[in-house]
Amino acid sequence: MGSSAIPRVGVHLQEVRSQVESYAARWLTAAADEKPWLLQVPDIGVACEVLLADRLFCDLSADERSGLYRWIRANQDPSGAWLGLRGQPDLSLTAMGWWACVEFGDDPQSEHLVRARRVVHELGGAQRANFSVRIWLAMAGAIPWSWLPSMPAELWLLPASTPVSPHRIAPWARGLMTPFLLLAQGDARVHLSDPTPLLLCRTGGELVAPRVTSPGAAGDLLQIFDRTLKLINKVPRGPLSRRAKARARAWLRDSQQHHGGWFSARPTLLTLVAMRCMGMTFDAPEIRRGLDYLRRSRGYMRMHRGPHKGEVFLAQGLGSGPVSVQADLLASADAGARRDALDGLLVHEIREAGAWQLRTDAPAGGWPHEFGAQAYLDVEATCAVLGVLGIALRDGPQTSVRTREIWAAIRRGCQVILAMQEADGSFSRFERGESNVWMSRLPWRDAVLLSAGERFAAERIRVTAKVLLRLNQFGWRRDDDRIARGLQWLGMRTQRLGRFDTSTLALVTRCFAAHSGRSPHPQLPACEAALRARQHEDGSFGSLVDTAAGLRGLMALDGAPCIQAHRAGAFVARACKQHATDEPPDLGSRLHYGLGLSPICVEPARGVIDLVETLREIAGEPQMSMYIQRGEE
Amino acid sequence: MICEQPPQRVDVLVIGAGMAGCATAQALALAGGDHRQICLVDRHRGVCPRFAGEFIHPRGAQVLEDLGFMAPLLAAGAVEVAGFAVLERVDGRYVELPYSLLPDARPRGLAVHHKTLVRTMRRVVASQPSVALCEGWSIAELLRDEAGRVCGASLRGKSEGRTVTRDVYADTVIGADGKSSATRRLAQLPEQRSQVGFTVGLSLTDAAVPGPMFGNVVLGAWGPMLIYPIEHLADGSLHYRMTLDLPPALPAKGRQLFDFIRTTFVPFLPNPLAAQTAEALDRAEASGQALPMAPTVNLSTPSAIAPGLLLVGDAAGCSHPITASGMTMGLRDAEVVGRLAAEVAAGTGPWLGERELCRYKVLHDRYVPTRQALAEAIYQVFRGGDAGARAIQDALFDYWGSSQRARERSLSLLSCAEGRPHVFISEYLRAARYAMRVCIQPRYARNLPVVDRLRTARGAAQLAGGKLGQVAQVVWANVRPQWTMQRAV
Repeated sequence: MGSSAIPRVGVHLQEVRSQVESYAARWLTAAADEKPWLLQVPDIGVACEVLLADRLFCDLSADERSGLYRWIRANQDPSGAWLGLRGQPDLSLTAMGWWACVEFGDDPQSEHLVRARRVVHELGGAQRANFSVRIWLAMAGAIPWSWLPSMPAELWLLPASTPVSPHRIAPWARGLMTPFLLLAQGDARVHLSDPTPLLLCRTGGELVAPRVTSPGAAGDLLQIFDRTLKLINKVPRGPLSRRAKARARAWLRDSQQHHGGWFSARPTLLTLVAMRCMGMTFDAPEIRRGLDYLRRSRGYMRMHRGPHKGEVFLAQGLGSGPVSVQADLLASADAGARRDALDGLLVHEIREAGAWQLRTDAPAGGWPHEFGAQAYLDVEATCAVLGVLGIALRDGPQTSVRTREIWAAIRRGCQVILAMQEADGSFSRFERGESNVWMSRLPWRDAVLLSAGERFAAERIRVTAKVLLRLNQFGWRRDDDRIARGLQWLGMRTQRLGRFDTSTLALVTRCFAAHSGRSPHPQLPACEAALRARQHEDGSFGSLVDTAAGLRGLMALDGAPCIQAHRAGAFVARACKQHATDEPPDLGSRLHYGLGLSPICVEPARGVIDLVETLREIAGEPQMSMYIQRGEE
Repeated sequence: MICEQPPQRVDVLVIGAGMAGCATAQALALAGGDHRQICLVDRHRGVCPRFAGEFIHPRGAQVLEDLGFMAPLLAAGAVEVAGFAVLERVDGRYVELPYSLLPDARPRGLAVHHKTLVRTMRRVVASQPSVALCEGWSIAELLRDEAGRVCGASLRGKSEGRTVTRDVYADTVIGADGKSSATRRLAQLPEQRSQVGFTVGLSLTDAAVPGPMFGNVVLGAWGPMLIYPIEHLADGSLHYRMTLDLPPALPAKGRQLFDFIRTTFVPFLPNPLAAQTAEALDRAEASGQALPMAPTVNLSTPSAIAPGLLLVGDAAGCSHPITASGMTMGLRDAEVVGRLAAEVAAGTGPWLGERELCRYKVLHDRYVPTRQALAEAIYQVFRGGDAGARAIQDALFDYWGSSQRARERSLSLLSCAEGRPHVFISEYLRAARYAMRVCIQPRYARNLPVVDRLRTARGAAQLAGGKLGQVAQVVWANVRPQWTMQRAV
């Protein structure tokens, strides 16, 4: 919704609030529908891989195949490239998009695919694409396996405490590297459409071999080491190697989650392929459950940009529904909807020991990234669920049993997220040490995949701020050393505020304000000034979602809401008054952090969530409500 | 006897008719016989509306019994408590520290509603012919003789609807007017005061606590929560007090405080106690009354005496109520004052002269530092505000779980039954040893990074090291030759 179209009239706040709360309930229904809507929409990469893998599994229905194909095609830019979610041409996505279209039956000589091929060649050929593309190229026999980094199977025999153990890499990477190890060791082959037109060749037809390491002396040394390893791999190594591979296979078998998948869609897909290569038939229960998981991860989405903007497509998600968004929607919905869905949240609390506990000194608790992933804690999801539980306690009379369960879950959740604090004071999302992986410091080209985000990335700042805000709600203050260390880290990492988007800046401001107490946090004035400077003439902070975030940041500051907050509030209320006609309602989306090779996702329900929270806060300020209802300027 | 107006001349004037003042007046009355006159004054008619201490260790209960308060208190509904029970977290370890472990001590302490306690004690002390209890009078000024020695007090009260001032002369003035003592302030005695936070009180009936007759400490929330029985009700049920610790910068006020407690404390209580607490909060909120609240203060021992003046109870120093030792200390002060008074009661000179005051200070300064050091350390550890405190908390549970002897020694210190320096030091060293082990062996994480273990160990070492000064102070207070203290006085 653009600001220009919004008339400056008075708004009945209660009416608007009820309307937007009903949108949250409609999103929840849509996400749980038989034909579900995706709450997080990634790029087309996973969908392309699903189409490729279907040659092996023959699992997709004709509708699913054509649906995914339509979505992939709709995402193609007129230039022929497939763009990343930030709008830049992406080599890997373009290569996969081309291949998926060919696999679906498009003529490689058709205009859109010729343009795509040109883009791939301009960007260096498919051999320069990301790790996932190269795995598929190797499985298709288009490139040798030696063009991928070698991974000694013996790593699986190392104790979990050693720096190069697979347990020290991020969970997403572990889910991808283990099947990759088995596929590479077995020289796996899948019969797919010919991708060689995507590869850049020399004049004689010889393929241009990519480096597996980064340029530089260290990279050269590592390249030599890599070649040596590959030579050694060709030598029969006896029982050690066999034992290591057996352990990796056992890990794959044991790591299948209750939802049927392995951490998320991409590791699941690769694991299923590895299992087929290990000799499992495609009607094996593990494979069937995995395929069902992938099916549940598919859903509908509405295009938010490009020539197909507003059209609905079937898309492949990264998982079967992020708990964090569902919990946020529940927090935004009315009390009735929340009460009905609360049991579902409580049932999915983590009760079993998981790999995340190796370096986290806490008993089982918290919530996973998606329902049924009992071994993978997600701090962000846990924070979101704790928020719902806190609201549920205030909803009014509860059955005593449920209230007790809520109390117990809050207790465990707080204990777990506190224990997820890193030594530097920040908070990890899935496992402690996930962004400080020793192996990722080696100059491998794909080393970045081994860790979950960078140590000082905005994602980590958001997670840390969310945790500190949530803990503040449950009574933790600056007088606790863990909170003090977290705030100190956040203060140090937010020195250059210009590089943050408005929602992150507002979140950090709210965090500092909540923990200010008698004396404001030293970084709070700078955050406040930066946030105020982002407001536009019309009172907005850019998009509606950013305005909602910015307004919440302003309202968190000490004292009564200022005139800037009043104007932003009036903008938000007026924008919300315009009924969203789509189903499920669209009040704006926000980019969110994804997983691994799909690092960014779109959250289409985020606008509804943020606006409900904002309208609730406005309702708590009588003067501001009156200002909005009078329609003053 | 109860007097409307204080007499002009008495042997001892006691300011403050709370627990410590009443006990001191009673101890003096029993020591002095009929020929000594004591005046006990308090600013409040009836009882002080403020929320105050209610838990007394066996050492204090023994004093109450010796002074003749025990039977009336039990008849008024006071509860004999069996010790302390500490719950690490709702799903954590549980340790009972029963008073029956203590050798040569009363096997039961006493817990009683503070208003019942004061009302009963005033009734008992007013029955002494040598005590004049005057309610509605507060201290306005200390009277001094030419040498600057305190020789009485100017009291302000109401007579026939008018505010009047009356000078009362006494050989000795005793300040028993609590942690915000006006007597201490008027005497210009030095004090080091710091506010630790606030304590909020809640009332529960038949609370489902792990140890029904114990003082139950539940950890895991922002601060420790203490739940203990305070009254036998007529219908056979037990009335419990729950005290919650709030930070000094109050995070919420008024009605928001109810929501704050619901979110930050109730989830950290075991069931069904949590449900009972939630109901109690709902009731209190519906009644429209504010929750009883009192500031918690650390007041390190000021000089407990000045010429012609001595301080007892919280006026002479107080600490966080987590060890529930404040009332016991007040009773112990009263016991010491009574004993010293008995020695010179038969004399014809001024009662409680400088020599007795000096001896009081010597004895007082021996047992008070132990209590203050322990209360401060236990509060810090139970609150768990830093990695070191949490490690020592963990270690304490390991230590208490290791043997009955360990529990006995800890309880003897906590309940003021033990003050010998070697016991204090050995307990300190044992806790430090267990803490080091806890830092090295985490409970859940199999591969906890070394840097985390080191941080915890460093925190525990810093905390233990920070207490070395207090340990030295306690030891010195106990081994210091008496003549050096008298000389200092």
